[in-house]
Amino acid sequence: MCKWWAHALVTLDRLLSRVLYVMIMKTKYALTCTFLTLSLLFFPGCGGERSSSQSDKPSFAYVTNGIDPFWDLCAAGVRIAEKEFGLDCEVLMPPKGVVDQKRMMEAMLAKGIDGVAVSPIDADNQTSFLNEVGQNTILITQDADAPKSDRLVYIGTNNYKAGRALGKLVKSAIPEGGEVMIFVGRLEQLNARQRRQGVIDELLGRPLQNLDEVKFDSVDSVNLSAEGSKYIIVDTRTDNFDKAKAKSNAEDSMTKYKNLKCMVGLFAYNPPACIDAIKEANKLGEIKVCGFDEQDALLQAIVDGHAHGTISQQPWEYGYESIKMLKSIYEGKQPNKKYFELPFLVVDQSNIKEFWEKKKKMAELGKQG
Amino acid sequence: MKKNILGIFLLLVAIFVITAIINPKFLNAYNMQNLIKWSSLYAVMSLGVAFVIITGGIDLSIGSVVGLVAVVLSICLKLEGMDPWSAIGLTLVLSLAIGFLHGILITKAKVQPFVVTLCGLLVYRSMGRWFTDNQSIGPIPLEDDAGYANIEQIQGLDFLFSGKIALGSFNLPTPAVFLLVLSLAAAIFLKRTIWGRYLFALGNNEEGTRYSGIDTDRMKILAYVLCSFFAGIAGILFAFELDSVQPAQTGEFYELYAIAAAVLGGCSLRGGEGTVLGVVIAAAVIRLIYNSINMVGISTHLEFGILGLVILLGVIGDEMLKKTVARKQATLKP
Repeated sequence: MCKWWAHALVTLDRLLSRVLYVMIMKTKYALTCTFLTLSLLFFPGCGGERSSSQSDKPSFAYVTNGIDPFWDLCAAGVRIAEKEFGLDCEVLMPPKGVVDQKRMMEAMLAKGIDGVAVSPIDADNQTSFLNEVGQNTILITQDADAPKSDRLVYIGTNNYKAGRALGKLVKSAIPEGGEVMIFVGRLEQLNARQRRQGVIDELLGRPLQNLDEVKFDSVDSVNLSAEGSKYIIVDTRTDNFDKAKAKSNAEDSMTKYKNLKCMVGLFAYNPPACIDAIKEANKLGEIKVCGFDEQDALLQAIVDGHAHGTISQQPWEYGYESIKMLKSIYEGKQPNKKYFELPFLVVDQSNIKEFWEKKKKMAELGKQG
Repeated sequence: MKKNILGIFLLLVAIFVITAIINPKFLNAYNMQNLIKWSSLYAVMSLGVAFVIITGGIDLSIGSVVGLVAVVLSICLKLEGMDPWSAIGLTLVLSLAIGFLHGILITKAKVQPFVVTLCGLLVYRSMGRWFTDNQSIGPIPLEDDAGYANIEQIQGLDFLFSGKIALGSFNLPTPAVFLLVLSLAAAIFLKRTIWGRYLFALGNNEEGTRYSGIDTDRMKILAYVLCSFFAGIAGILFAFELDSVQPAQTGEFYELYAIAAAVLGGCSLRGGEGTVLGVVIAAAVIRLIYNSINMVGISTHLEFGILGLVILLGVIGDEMLKKTVARKQATLKP
């Protein structure tokens, strides 16, 4: 019962199949040709120019040194500034260190961004790349500085002074003195080293150092003490941003140092990790916690009296001031100094409620922006 | 056992075209140079792991080898002031030794590759951190470093490993030249030499290969040595590219990118399959996705998600294409 059109269909199908088969089998050669063609297309088509972005608004990038709730709060400030000044802002959070930070900034340059505010991960060794960025767009640093680079201005907290303020908090938490342990994500960053040194100098009653010439105690120095000081800094442990490691570091320190009186967490997630560990060891109140930054768990612990206090850099100010600075440089106003110091805030039982309210409001505003 | 690479190539073209349409600046020379540079860096590692995967093995230590090599190189050049070429030689010997150790443990001590290289991942990472006190270090010495005496030679190396060669208005990053040479060598080795065929045979049927009188142990050791050697070269390239080595972070998780590229590029984790061109294209696809996300302006939080989905869809699509081809072949043959 075969009809002529059925035959035709079968023939057509066979023909098409044959064509498809040959096509696919020949792909290897086609690929080589396509590659050559594409490469040929690239060369003439690629101008090196990097003009401003697609929209008329100035576009700025805010580049962090990693992923953390701290940076989300900074992003809130960026969004507020973006809205207020009518700009186009991107917040970039490199998940895996220097390699991602470099890659993301390169992409921004390719996009023709008008300015970049970056928190360099390894300032000294990144200098040449930062200079390359600086040659192509407005470059400022924020949170962590790269003093050897051609950045136009650095916006940041004086981490040494903030560290000393944290030291004062520790003193008020354990006025009778005792063993203190420091926890931090990593000490490769200048700001982390400055913070740590501030805490150590304050506790050991050393004189105030100049931010540019801070002398650092070695990273692995243990049992730091000084004549006339009641405090011993038993150790500094790092966790490389691994939150689980941060907690186990805190647990291990309680096992090792039976007389530990105070834990100091220098990165945002360190104090909550310490509080968790202390809670599980049933030592709440026995071991004090002083911290940096403003994670909710830490703020709650301050409210509950489980943590003594924290130093807040008011992250939204970072985002806001960075974008504001980029905009003003973009409009031709050169900054009159290389260092723009942002104030930090000491948060303890006395002002925790207002501070937390403000933090919530800022985060919310950031989301809407 | 050649697997078709049409699927992965179409994926590359599709992402390329879509990104270029959304943001034409994607096509500018600067971005293309960056894309070629990063693709080359990751492709070198991926080629290395392809050797091991072809034999049916796995190497999880690549990222840590990259990190350790970068650390040792930086220490030699910057802190020790060693002769730059000797330092390069030393790091390459180190990576060869690591591969040899893996091979010996896997073939002679009969420890599973997964275990050997997982332990390697932990040990080399830890060694890098210990050597440096976990402090960042870079291969380029500063004025007060011991290595500053060799600064001119080191700057020469810097150009060799992370420089740009001007081709008219286009600057070709040197890692691309490394990739070209290495991939040509790898392709010739795999397809045109008897050892390359042994590697495929070994991955397809280890018992059978051994009974054919081939020293499979020696071939396996060779695959691991090549894998670590390629990782070592990548380590040197990364150190000079970034000028900054974080002992705890440099190279972290790179083994997964390398394995993903090898699999996406047509290597079967069961062994016996894989092409050099496929692996290189796949490594380029992965870097292209990262670049596109930035160029299009998608939230960086979505990076891993998009990457995972694209790889998954790419592999599924490739499987389907392969089946279609097989079916057509079957119907046409008689």
